[in-house]
Parts: sequence; structure tokens; C-alpha cells
Amino acid sequence: MKKALYLLLFICSFTFPSRAQYILSSKNATVSFFSGTVMEDIEGKSNTASSVIDPKTRNIIFKVSNTSFQFQKKLMQEHFNEDYMESDRYPFSKFSGRITDELDFNKDGNYNLTVEGTLQIHGVTKPWSCRVAMIISNGVVTAKSVFKIKIEDYQIKIPSLVFKNIAEYVEVRLSAVYQPTKTITK
Amino acid sequence: MRTRLFKKLLLLLLIFSTLHSFGQEELEKELADNKPVHEKVAATFKDIKLVNGHTNETIHQNELEFKVDHRFGDIAGGNGGIRQFFGLDHATDVRIGFEYGLSDRLSIGLARAKGATDVQQLYEGNIKYRLLEQTTDDYIPVAVTLFGSNTIAAVRASDDPAAATAYRRFSDRMNYVSQVILARKFNSNFSFSLTPSYLHRNFTAFRDQNDLFALGFGGRAKISKRMAIVVDYFIPFRNQADKAYLEQVNGVKFYNPLDVGLEIETGGHVFHLNFTNAQAIEEMQYISQTTSSWLKGQYRWGFTIARRFSFNKKQKI
Repeated sequence: MKKALYLLLFICSFTFPSRAQYILSSKNATVSFFSGTVMEDIEGKSNTASSVIDPKTRNIIFKVSNTSFQFQKKLMQEHFNEDYMESDRYPFSKFSGRITDELDFNKDGNYNLTVEGTLQIHGVTKPWSCRVAMIISNGVVTAKSVFKIKIEDYQIKIPSLVFKNIAEYVEVRLSAVYQPTKTITK
Repeated sequence: MRTRLFKKLLLLLLIFSTLHSFGQEELEKELADNKPVHEKVAATFKDIKLVNGHTNETIHQNELEFKVDHRFGDIAGGNGGIRQFFGLDHATDVRIGFEYGLSDRLSIGLARAKGATDVQQLYEGNIKYRLLEQTTDDYIPVAVTLFGSNTIAAVRASDDPAAATAYRRFSDRMNYVSQVILARKFNSNFSFSLTPSYLHRNFTAFRDQNDLFALGFGGRAKISKRMAIVVDYFIPFRNQADKAYLEQVNGVKFYNPLDVGLEIETGGHVFHLNFTNAQAIEEMQYISQTTSSWLKGQYRWGFTIARRFSFNKKQKI
């Protein structure tokens, strides 16, 4: 009896790893941000963010290259990378954390969840949590989130020489479609 | 006893191996890598010019740059000092220019300059094209930009046949400049450029050279996030016999223009505070006709104000 159990587990460890090791991956997630003042509206958008979720641990990582943000005014894009984000020193902005609510990714439905972890922007890592709306349908997960960040928290300095055309808070919108993906990582 | 412990460990191991999950670091490896293969280096320089010399930068599509250059008189030396209020009583040259980006690679410009020598009332039309852009992975290690300009002198023609302005035909008033600007951004704080230049003046003073080759050097070093030191220097390759003749006849000496400036960027505006021995601002003059020397106190301060306007229509991005 015991031997049979060992044998079963031993077989399982070889036959089911592929089923056990699937992740949810989003290759073309979008991130946009908006800063509005009386002087000027600043809007940037990237369509090449990437994100992954481990359905088992509900760990989530969301990462975007700062230079991938596109602006309506090219000069703004230059200033964004050169003066504010310092993209050559800090090429990425990243969230890594965990979905705190219990969730079955095999069950279709609409979910309102809380995500907790750390947000890294401009080389500064801070604890972060926000609400995420998720729609699960046939294993495909669509996630959306809107939140505000205070740019001062991430040591992005606006020099006094620049007139008041950059808002203190920036509204960030994320959206991603995750496809179930098998992985070879052991 | 031992075997039981071993069996328990084995059981635990087997259970874990079936329940594999990802740690954060492992999970990050699963992220799609969306970085473009050969990403272009942005903002090698902050403006289309250092002080007098052009950089590899052009104006982005549908953007307009309005630029005012001003050069005062000599700070020190025979024509400077307190009597002339360190040069502020004079304007050796003034230039007002507009540059417009037809595409992100191609820009055109129109300018009016006073002109520092006898050749005055200058109208400049120029075209600038980004041939190659440096990439972050050094697939293309240097940026290459082509610059061409035509400057027309509107000054009244001189009766002295040996003068630089003894024009007889309209075409005599034309002056052409072509430059190949090679630039590299070494890091976020330092960029360098090399500018082989060719000048052709349809008409010059007697024994002055119609064709002149020159090599320009330029550099920009950031001293703070929004301030940088900019330097440019040109070496014209003159015919020694002609140079000696001109220097003897006119009683002047030719010097290589060396310009040093402080660049202040405020988002939309770029200000320059410059010190230069060149009186002129137009390429065809400061490369060929700089007759004042730093060592004799014949340097001046100047300033440049550049303002960018965007004509990109509000579009959903």
C-alpha cells in the first residue's frame, strides 16, 4: 500500500509538472499616465509592458521600459527620459507583489481584487497596494487598474525653473490580457 | 529507524516536486522581453547648435524652433573695456532664425543675420537630415547628420573691385556650406561631435579662398541635470600664401573660432550664455572670417534663446 503511494507520487512528479507549471503571461500590456495642469496636459503611453502571474502563489510582476512611453510631443518624451525618469540609469519601472485575495483562475467571472507589493520607479522602491479589476474567461485573464502616484515619493524632482506645468500627482492606468503559458523552468 | 526517516523525506520531496511554484525572481525570468532590438539614443545634444557649430540634432516632426542669437563687442582689448561697457555697446552679429521639422529626420530653416564682416544683411536657408542615429547597443556607434545651407548677402555692392562685396551678378551673393556631423553620446553626461565642413563662397575679397575646408569639434558636458558646458572649435584649412597676403593687405590675422557656453534647459526653452572670439554667427563667416583672438581680449559674450513650439494636433495616443 505504502509502496503504491510512493510509486504514484513518483510518477506524478514526472507526468504532471507541465500542468503544475503554467503561468499567466501578458506580452503587450499597456501603461499610460496622465498629468493635467492649467498650463499643459502631459500624457504618455506604452504598449510594450509585460507582466506575469503565477496562479499558484498569486505572485504578480508588471514591468515596463521607460523609453517605450510615447508622447504626443516628442520634446516631452525627451524630457521625460532625460530629465525626470533618467531612463539610462533607471531603464524600467516595475511592480512586484501578490494578489492578496483568494482566487481560482479556473473559474470564470469578474473579480475585484487587492494587489500588494512594491513599486519601483526612478530607482526608488516603495510599498504599494492598489485595486485591480479582473475578468477571467476560459483561462484568459483581463486585468485593469487605475491609481495615482505622487511623483515626489519617487524622488522625481521638478526644478523651480520649470513653470507649474507638471502636476504633483500622476494618474496611472494599467491594462493587461494574460494568456495561460506553459513554461520549461523547473 | 533510519529508513523510515529516509522514506518520510522522500515522501516530502515527492510531494513538493509535484507542487512546483515560482519564487519572485524565477517569475521575473518569465517576463516577455519587449525591448526593441536597436534602440535609438535620444538627446545626444539639447539643441540643434552648440554655440556656433551645429549638432546632429534636428527638430522633431511638426515642431518649430524660434532662435535668437546675439553677439556683443569685445570684452577686453583695444575695442573693449569700460568705455564700451565691456562690449555691450556693440552688436557684432544678430541672428533670428526659424527651424521646422518636416519629419523626425528632416528639418528646414530660414534665418536672417546681420553679418559681422563687410558681407552683411544675410538671408540663410538650410536643410538638415539625420542620416544615421546612434543606437544604445552600439549597432550604430555614431550618429551622422548632414547639413547644407545657402546664405545670400543682400548688402549693397561695393565699387572697389578688390572688396568682398564687389558683386556683379546675383549669384555672386551666394555662399554655400555643407557639413557632415558625426556625433556620439558617450554617456548621459558627455557627448562629442566631429564636423568636417566645406564652404563655397561664390565671391570673395581678392585672393581670399572661394573653397575652404574646415574641421569642427564640439562637446557637451553636463554639470547638473539642466545645465551643461558646451564647447565648439573649428580649424579652417587655409592656403598659407593667400592667408599671408590677406593678413598683410588688411592688417588683420585669422584665428580659429573657439566658443564656450553655458547651456540652461528649462523644458521648452534652451538658453545659452556664450563666450567666443568669433564675431559672426553664420557658418560661412565665423569659419572663414574670424579675425579676433582670445589672447588679445577680443572675445565677447553672447546669448542664444531657443524656444520650441509643437504643432502636433491633439490626437489620441
